[in-house]
Amino acid sequence: MQRRSAIKNLMIIAGGIAILPSCAKDKEKGKASIQLNNLNIDAEQEKLLAEVSEAFIPTTDTPGAKALNLHLFVLKMVDDCHDKTDQEGFVAGLSELEKLSEKRFDKSFVNCSVKERGEILKDIENSKNPSGKVFQFYKIAKDRTIQGYLNSKYVMTELIPYELVPGRYNGYFPVKKS
Amino acid sequence: MMSNLNIDSVKQRTFDAIVIGSGISGGWAAKELTEKGLKTLVLERGRDVKHVVDYPTTNMYPYEFEHRGELPIDVQKANPVANRCYAFKEDSAHFFVKDAEHPYIQENPFDWIRGYQVGGKSLLWARQTQRWSDFDFEGPARDGFAVDWPIRYKDIALWYSYVEKFAGIAGDKDGLSHLPDGEFLPGYPLNAVEDYFKKKVLDKYGNRHIISARCAHLSKPEPVHHQQGRAQCQNRRLCQRGCPFGGYFSSNSSTLPWAERTGNLTLRPFSVVESVIYDEQKGKATGVRVIDTNTKEVIEYYAKIIFVNASALNTNLLLLNSTSSRFPNGLGNDNGLMGKYVAFHNYSARISAEYEGLQEFTTDGRNPAGGGYIPRFRNVLKQETDFLRGYAAGLSGFRTLERDLSGQGPQLKENLLNPFLGPWHISSHMMGETIPKESNYVSLDSTQKDTWGMPLLKVSVVYDENDHKMSKDFVDQLTEMFTIAGFSNIQAQTNTRVPGNDIHEMGGVRMGHDPKTSLLNKWNQLHACKNVFVTDGACMTSTASQNPSLTYMALTARAVDYAVKQVNNGQL
Repeated sequence: MQRRSAIKNLMIIAGGIAILPSCAKDKEKGKASIQLNNLNIDAEQEKLLAEVSEAFIPTTDTPGAKALNLHLFVLKMVDDCHDKTDQEGFVAGLSELEKLSEKRFDKSFVNCSVKERGEILKDIENSKNPSGKVFQFYKIAKDRTIQGYLNSKYVMTELIPYELVPGRYNGYFPVKKS
Repeated sequence: MMSNLNIDSVKQRTFDAIVIGSGISGGWAAKELTEKGLKTLVLERGRDVKHVVDYPTTNMYPYEFEHRGELPIDVQKANPVANRCYAFKEDSAHFFVKDAEHPYIQENPFDWIRGYQVGGKSLLWARQTQRWSDFDFEGPARDGFAVDWPIRYKDIALWYSYVEKFAGIAGDKDGLSHLPDGEFLPGYPLNAVEDYFKKKVLDKYGNRHIISARCAHLSKPEPVHHQQGRAQCQNRRLCQRGCPFGGYFSSNSSTLPWAERTGNLTLRPFSVVESVIYDEQKGKATGVRVIDTNTKEVIEYYAKIIFVNASALNTNLLLLNSTSSRFPNGLGNDNGLMGKYVAFHNYSARISAEYEGLQEFTTDGRNPAGGGYIPRFRNVLKQETDFLRGYAAGLSGFRTLERDLSGQGPQLKENLLNPFLGPWHISSHMMGETIPKESNYVSLDSTQKDTWGMPLLKVSVVYDENDHKMSKDFVDQLTEMFTIAGFSNIQAQTNTRVPGNDIHEMGGVRMGHDPKTSLLNKWNQLHACKNVFVTDGACMTSTASQNPSLTYMALTARAVDYAVKQVNNGQL
């Protein structure tokens, strides 16, 4: 049990679940901070994804994507629950996003202002070009960020409490007039 | 319970009764036999699953699942059959067999969904429980298929009552002759849209009913349920994880602990039954040959009577594999019909719609019954369509929380945290009776074997023209009914599920009057080997449209009662 809790202390909490960190050697090489089996993502790309997730769900008076490590949840899901095509599109699209940023604002996405980031993402969303890699990346990153957020421990306990044991059913529950 | 594993004397491997399988019917056999004082060995091929203790995910919150309930894609790809089951998710995957570990041969596409553990699929079932009526038992005789059932409703009605009281069935007294009322705990009322639909449909047709789904949930437990250690259902609807309250009926929460308390139960997990042993001199079965799945050691156990409850297709497999010079084609298989006339339920269509009305209501909490049930309304009193028999249907209405997911930033965040109620969604799925045919069969492969040396089962089961016509009729009729109710955006899906995905496979060792055309008599005894009883899905002569588990429970309790009387008066 002691060993287990020791491992637990090393875990990274992403939206409420623990994810295994990558080993120290990998980190020195600039690898991602969590253990990935299929995705080849380096620390820079991870940082970029964190800013994209944060652009979707920013910190306001409540925590946003970065504070909840939702970008790591996105990586975990893409790594485990998506097929090769999605994984390749995701990584390629992430690079393309960076190119779009360089082309448009002459700087990396992470150095863009909130407004500039918003413009880049809005353009991708409105382009709706499902065959494009950048759109493929965008869709996966956005869907998984939202999923991670709504299913995070923080949201499910503090903002929209999830009931494990409702103990009731009412099929004629009156809807409050707003 | 496991203390007797290492002894090898014949005496210590001898019991009064052996039950093969610990699922919904095996659990009942165990309870009835042990209560009647018989020292009973229950053999389960999988691992032990203790109530509550072995439900690892039961109290987990959604955010505690590594993939939020989704299974990793490599798990999905490695288990194409299990993955087509609606309940195969991150919270319950440990209760399903892995495809690669338990191969079978699909001569035609057939999803064989299996749960190899103590409790079997009783941990995973959808808990819908309806009685059959004589409109079902008389089906084969009236419509000229299969063989006549050797029993009628009057033979089983009291046994339905008996098992219902113990299992705990929630339902309403609906007064329908083709879906007899039972011993009910309070039903779970229909919700606003289901109720509305019920009234509209009844007004229009007069003989089409929508009732509260009858289900094995403790809506209001009786003392007998508390005695089992079970408590009121808490409306979690996380049943596939195993219920810490024992809110729904399973072998693990109910029959097996009850049997254990008698002191007469020996439960042996990790035990594949290779065959039933037949003694030519005595003219009866003397025991079973077990393969320990861990050590692969072969061990024989002996008993006066044997109940085969291995699940429909595995019961076929092990009886076909039980050969002797008296029964070269499988135990009791003199007529060569064993493995044939396998049938299932036709789940090949579903339909959904929306309703803009009743905006003043939604639902609160969760309904463990799942909603409404539409009993069969086709060909009940007489033949009236161009297909035989009919279908029941599930019906559920619900409103979802919807969100504007467009854009990014503070506005998106705000939208995510402030969902709004969408319209009512209504969905219905068909559960059709299929016609057992000789051409739908299972058999043993002559060369390929599994890890334990058991021959692989070949499954050859397909839909037929009757099924397709029925499926079309379901879509036509439900479309009409939805239209009458003013529902919009009606969308039907057909041919989405292959046979077996209904998880209601039945037959192969059917009951009947005549040993020439059936394998079991009216007491579920093999005609040709009277101390072997089959009371799981394999015994079914026809399928009706009801969910079958309640009927297996009642047939099992009835057969045990008969068997023990026969033992006590020296007949067995």
